[in-house]
Amino acid sequence: MVHALEEILRTLKPDGILIDLRPVESNWPVEVSSSAGVQESGRLTDLPAALADDEAAFYAMREAESRSWVVKKKEEEFVFYYYWDTPSEMKEFMEVEWDGFEKLEEDVYQKTKSLWVSANADARIRVRVKMLITKWDKSRV
Amino acid sequence: MSLQRDPEGFEKKILHKFADFAGKRILEIGCGEGRLTWKYANASSLTVGFDPDQDAVRVARADSPSALHGRVHFVQAGASHIPFSKETFDIAILAWSL
Repeated sequence: MVHALEEILRTLKPDGILIDLRPVESNWPVEVSSSAGVQESGRLTDLPAALADDEAAFYAMREAESRSWVVKKKEEEFVFYYYWDTPSEMKEFMEVEWDGFEKLEEDVYQKTKSLWVSANADARIRVRVKMLITKWDKSRV
Repeated sequence: MSLQRDPEGFEKKILHKFADFAGKRILEIGCGEGRLTWKYANASSLTVGFDPDQDAVRVARADSPSALHGRVHFVQAGASHIPFSKETFDIAILAWSL
């Protein structure tokens, strides 16, 4: 990962910028959202592979900074929502796309279904993903 | 399937708050199917997206609007070797890829 960063920075102009945009693990909340409001049904469980990926990403950027390749200019957190019409569609997506990284515990799934069936007809399921965006200047050193 | 990603557009808003893409040469690492690419490429003078997933790159190429042909390119590759000379790009984006 550190080598890849070095290669990316090689192709950047001296006054170029690097934008690192990625999700960060935080046991993302599962919510039922409708015109009546939002109710949280529980949280996903971060699995070790996802936590290891996060640590590797932070390590790579710390290394790049410590080697004076980049200088941090700006950083913010924001939210990114995934929406599904039904709890089963959410479960199916997670089993395929997030397998090994995020786990939807059975009690959270059951609570989600329960909240969803008793919510307004326009209710949808969503997962609130914590995102981090960081702007780095390429160092002239 | 009913999946929707970021229908509020928070990601696009913050991306444009962090960088001005107008007339710039952009390198995107982890472009996937181009979901993020299409949120800024129209402003750039050149965008090159890299992704190791061949199927994703195929989708990105197929979705490329004709107005952007010649300005947006997708390459199936990782970031360990980028076949461009040094100091080519103004902005590099690590798109959910670090």
